[in-house]
Amino acid sequence: MIAFQLLINALALGAAYALVALGFVLILNATGAVNFAQGDLVMAGGYVAIALAPLLPVPALLLLPLVLLVMAVLGLLLSALAYFPLLARPPSAVFISTIAVGIVLQNGANAIFGAAPRAAPPLLGAGDLALGGIVLSRQSVAIIAVASLLVLVQHLIISRTQFGRALRATAQDREMARAIGIGANAMIAASFALGAALAGAAGLLLANQFFVTPTAGSDLVVKAYIAVAIGGWGSLWGAVAGALLIAVFEVGVSSVLSYTAAAAGLYAALLAILVIRPQGFFGEAAQRRA
Amino acid sequence: MKRLRDRVTAWLGDGLNAPLLLGAFALAAYSLLAGSSYSLRLMSVAGVYALLTLGYQFIFGQAGALSLAQGTFFGCGAYVTGILGSQLGWGFSATFPLSLLAPVLLAGLVAAPVLRLESHYFALATLGIGQVMLLIAVHWQVVTGGANGLAGIPGIVLFGATLPRGLPLLATIWGIVAFAALFARLLTCGAWGLAFTVVREDPLAAAASGIDAAALRFAAFLLSALYAGAAGALYVHTILVVSPEVLEFPVMVAVLTMAVIGGRARIAGAILGAVLLVHLPEWLRFVGGTYLVAYGGALLFFIVLAPDGLVGAAELLLARLRPARPGVPPAAIALPPRVACAPVLAIDDLAKSFGGIAAVAGVSLSIAPGEIVGLIGPNGSGKTTLVNLVTGLYRPDRGAVRLGERALAGLPPAAIARAGIGRTFQNGNSLEAMSALDSVATARLAVGAALAFRRVLRPVASRRTLALARGEAMHCLELLGVAAVAMQRCRALPYGTRRRVEIARALALQPAVLLLDEPAAGLDGAEQDDLARRLGELAQGGIAILVIEHNMDFLMGLAQRIVCLDRGRVLAVGTPAAIRRDPDVLTAYLGAAPGQPA
Repeated sequence: MIAFQLLINALALGAAYALVALGFVLILNATGAVNFAQGDLVMAGGYVAIALAPLLPVPALLLLPLVLLVMAVLGLLLSALAYFPLLARPPSAVFISTIAVGIVLQNGANAIFGAAPRAAPPLLGAGDLALGGIVLSRQSVAIIAVASLLVLVQHLIISRTQFGRALRATAQDREMARAIGIGANAMIAASFALGAALAGAAGLLLANQFFVTPTAGSDLVVKAYIAVAIGGWGSLWGAVAGALLIAVFEVGVSSVLSYTAAAAGLYAALLAILVIRPQGFFGEAAQRRA
Repeated sequence: MKRLRDRVTAWLGDGLNAPLLLGAFALAAYSLLAGSSYSLRLMSVAGVYALLTLGYQFIFGQAGALSLAQGTFFGCGAYVTGILGSQLGWGFSATFPLSLLAPVLLAGLVAAPVLRLESHYFALATLGIGQVMLLIAVHWQVVTGGANGLAGIPGIVLFGATLPRGLPLLATIWGIVAFAALFARLLTCGAWGLAFTVVREDPLAAAASGIDAAALRFAAFLLSALYAGAAGALYVHTILVVSPEVLEFPVMVAVLTMAVIGGRARIAGAILGAVLLVHLPEWLRFVGGTYLVAYGGALLFFIVLAPDGLVGAAELLLARLRPARPGVPPAAIALPPRVACAPVLAIDDLAKSFGGIAAVAGVSLSIAPGEIVGLIGPNGSGKTTLVNLVTGLYRPDRGAVRLGERALAGLPPAAIARAGIGRTFQNGNSLEAMSALDSVATARLAVGAALAFRRVLRPVASRRTLALARGEAMHCLELLGVAAVAMQRCRALPYGTRRRVEIARALALQPAVLLLDEPAAGLDGAEQDDLARRLGELAQGGIAILVIEHNMDFLMGLAQRIVCLDRGRVLAVGTPAAIRRDPDVLTAYLGAAPGQPA
């Protein structure tokens, strides 16, 4: 019984992580650069929900479209400030510029909302669901449902629409995409918007049960990275699978040992992956072409 | 006396030396006059961060690797001093050396798996190490004091007396900063400075020059840890407590910001960045807690608009105000004769596939000393892949490469270059600010032992080595007829000239074999003839030369033998005249031989 509840909790956490990792990998695919502010975008999404809640006293589910919109705009802003000016520079420059944006977001949130943990309203009301003797948190179930829906919609957009095809073409070969008339820069900007919107959704989903603090994001970007590394560099479904795996590991180890052990285990896993399979991840390693 | 005065005047007139000296005096005066114990403490902390950032310049500035472990090394040094001093009551003379040693050991331990990672993989791996250390510091309470940390750390004891806080402590810290800055200068002003520049700006050119980039990166990583350990220990002696704060990410972000804002790879930049950013919260106190937003904003501003930081901007301004006259090129010095007799390059059944497509499918080929072989074939036939296999940029799936008796397949590219295989790339190097002369001299340094740590440590000897390398580089440039551009920056050179400088760089290795990838591209007829004549002279001197080329007219007069590749295999071998008539070759190039139906 407890095991089942833990599993539901892990799936809820994993679903939120999956949104973060998906956003991370979308931007990575489009630009070849790591967006170190991805975790801080999650945090920002949580605060956007908290700021909107008193203005619109509705369940958080109805706030979701607004949060997605605001975060998409933030994503565009991020690309304009921290990515496009650095096109001609090595990928590490983007890494640093997104660290800088992360600092601004963290301290901006700290200045506006303070350092104390805050909670966003629940998606569909608080309380538990009782299903034939199994007691489930309403919020956990709602998180799983909403995140699954978002992943599905994202998948349909990427795989079935003309826009998604253009996005994938840009990710595969920017120059070739340009050559066949795709506005590659617009697609990159769209990837940032989509990535930030997914991060914002994760923020909204996480900010009820797990609260949000200005520094909550730094942990999440590392988890997104680990998820992407586990799932296979650049693979969208791999990122989702990796995120679920991380969450199950985290919840499982926390319940048996401690949260610290879980965190240490995750970082050890990150190092192990990098040590064992560095070659596998060298997708964009510079190689002068013939 | 007069000579001394002349040298001082020359030094003051050189670059930013005068303004920097003035700045140092201003800092000293400020510290002496500031008086309040708070501002003295702030200056001490600034010194600690200057030391930390000076160290970071080795791995981030010089080697160009985005390490996020500098804060971890700092915290490691801080905790060693904290734990030994507070828990065990050990004195400064024991804790300080151990605080330097511990981060260096940690760096050495993690270097093997982590340092070979590139760009953001390296950054994230170093971040992961920091997170593990932070977890240990917070949760190993018996030893580290947990989240509260440890208090009661003894002060610095020197010559039997405890160093008073305030000005004496400040002077000691800044004395160490000055020493550390001079040491960093010693290490990076000569051979290492040049080698690091090539490693950072064009890793492929570094490999082709025989520079062991892995060894340099390793040395830079250890040095950054050494400096960080010293900074951590001094930090603990300044604030007298140690807590997990020293291992948290904000320390790392602060160092990164100081290095970027001050000026990457610049010693003065590290110090300037540290002093500015430690005092920034004080100056921005009126805006309250939001100054940290400005912090992030400033980092973004500099990384986008002024990637070389304040000192880099000052250099640009100075160059605008007082354009530097190009230096006087050194006199050419002939290369010492090669001792070994000229060996034969033998390629045996070499093969490489990419994702199921055989780019090179079993090529065998040998080139004798003094021979010039042309390598032709349609686009995608595997010519450049073959050269990349021979030079170690790709690891062959099977097959062997031998130079004389020595097996080369599987060696790292730099080792293959030093073994006597020089090469050029299709696009030339992408070095920006380096002079043509220095780009060639670096290869000379790499071939000798001039990049060994103990050699770099001896200033007089290493200056002499550098002068010799530059003289010999001048000789190589003369051999290619480009001595006139020796002192110009690589990026300012026209394409054809840059390609010749690259051949000169390959020559500086004193290679037994030269592999040239389309050396005649972008040259007009007269230049082509001149290049062909010079290559012929080199071959007469005993060098084996392989030339990838599409330009048959260029090859006709030059090569004794032509090898034609098609789809990764040798299609035909013969004299240029025979190859021109070979029906198979014509089919490969044109789709069908003339007079035959396609």
